[in-house]
Amino acid sequence: MKYLSELFASRELLSNLVMREVKGKYRRTVFGQLWSLINPLATMLVYTVVFSFIFRARPSVGDPSGMNIYPLWLMCGLLPWMFFNRVVTGGLNSITSNAGLIKKVYFPRMNLPFAVTGSTGYTWLNEMALLSVVLMVFGAFVLPWLPLVVLFMLLLALFATGLGMALAILTVYFRDAQHFTAIAIQMWMYLTPIIYPINLVEEAADKHGQIVLDLYRLNPMERFVSVFRQLMYDNRWPDLADSLWCVGWAVGMFVFGFLIFKRFEKKLAVRL
Amino acid sequence: MTEKPAVSVDGLSLKYRLYKERNDALKTALLRGRRAVYEDFWALDDVSFEVPTGSTFGLIGNNGAGKSTLLKVLSRILYPDKGSFTANGRMAALLEVGSGFHPELSGRENIFLNGSILGMSRKEITRKFDEIVDFSGVSKFIDQPVKNYSSGMYVRLGFSVAINVDPDILVVDEVLSVGDAAFKAKCANKFVDFKKAGKTVILVTHSMTSLQSMCDQAAWINQGKLVTVGDAKTVIADYKKSVDESK
Repeated sequence: MKYLSELFASRELLSNLVMREVKGKYRRTVFGQLWSLINPLATMLVYTVVFSFIFRARPSVGDPSGMNIYPLWLMCGLLPWMFFNRVVTGGLNSITSNAGLIKKVYFPRMNLPFAVTGSTGYTWLNEMALLSVVLMVFGAFVLPWLPLVVLFMLLLALFATGLGMALAILTVYFRDAQHFTAIAIQMWMYLTPIIYPINLVEEAADKHGQIVLDLYRLNPMERFVSVFRQLMYDNRWPDLADSLWCVGWAVGMFVFGFLIFKRFEKKLAVRL
Repeated sequence: MTEKPAVSVDGLSLKYRLYKERNDALKTALLRGRRAVYEDFWALDDVSFEVPTGSTFGLIGNNGAGKSTLLKVLSRILYPDKGSFTANGRMAALLEVGSGFHPELSGRENIFLNGSILGMSRKEITRKFDEIVDFSGVSKFIDQPVKNYSSGMYVRLGFSVAINVDPDILVVDEVLSVGDAAFKAKCANKFVDFKKAGKTVILVTHSMTSLQSMCDQAAWINQGKLVTVGDAKTVIADYKKSVDESK
């Protein structure tokens, strides 16, 4: 309890660390915060050209929204994924890149990975807000689902932060972890139906047996991406099983990361 | 009336593991199957003493004697393997100036950032803001990014934030030697005020003159072990004698 109350007492530090990341990142750039929107737009453009026009990925039409616009379908999955990727990678590096601070000042160390989540979350919030506006312009009825979208954003943040914290500790002991993670995350993205629709996997499962789909759906990110699409693109209640799967993984992963971090943080200053 | 000591240190021991080879890579761990080979090195070995409230307490000893390790334990950066210490009052450590400064942010923004890293609340920083800026003498450049500061200005700003944390117990490592002569004099005065206010300072410095002029209590540490502790003049004299003898 003492640990938690100390962590809670340092929330001003957390907000200042978040501010440091947010303000420091785009200083001296002409476009400033706009860059955080230009990046996903450029990615959207590339994936749309490659996967919609060249590979002809055809996601199923939004039900009941009737949406059938690949770039928007893509973004409903890609923005959560990009957030996840940045939080895990940033969280992983949060300890090693702040080694100087950890060796010279005491403060609750968990604020470092939390600050990564906070600053990345700020960018993500802007991206999701813009996406919602665009979806509404194209006729999706997103507004009533926004509270649920925010709830699942928080769950994904918990999941990503937990994983980032555990990996941050691993990286202090084994620097290989950061290179390994970079590769793993790249593969993970292609194992998640972000740029292609899941019905391609379902077709493969019909041919090669149900086991393919069952294994594929063990991936918690598949559930998160599905839920975000159900809410934003289809405009319907998220599937109950998917939602429970998300909640379970989010809470489980966060508790796991939290405990690992708490257990090893006292040794960080010696090991860095 | 017997006052409680500001800090009582009880049997502190801390070991470093000296690995025969670097163990950062997964490879070493995997190849050996188990943990890498290491030797224990006790940087602190059963150190106990008390720091009286209101005293200025100096830590002396040769390089590598364990002074800085001890300060880091007191600052809660390192955790002892054995023993413990208790502090009566708010404790702040000053092992580095300008911790966490972001070069692209302005002096103003960095004061808030650095202050909160050192444990000050936003309200406290706002209240002391003018004092901090005045003390640092960089008021003209306070809205400029700190990467444009000269190294002296940078250090002065960092020091001004730290000295305004206003703890009951201040732990200081070698940072007294910052800035030009005028700023040094200002710092020395600040420490005098601090002492007058009945606060406790624990410091490490290699300058025997500043030790002698500032400290009333001292502890001499050698190879992780406490040699003597007590009145500063006696401890410093003992230490000097042993240094002269070993020449």
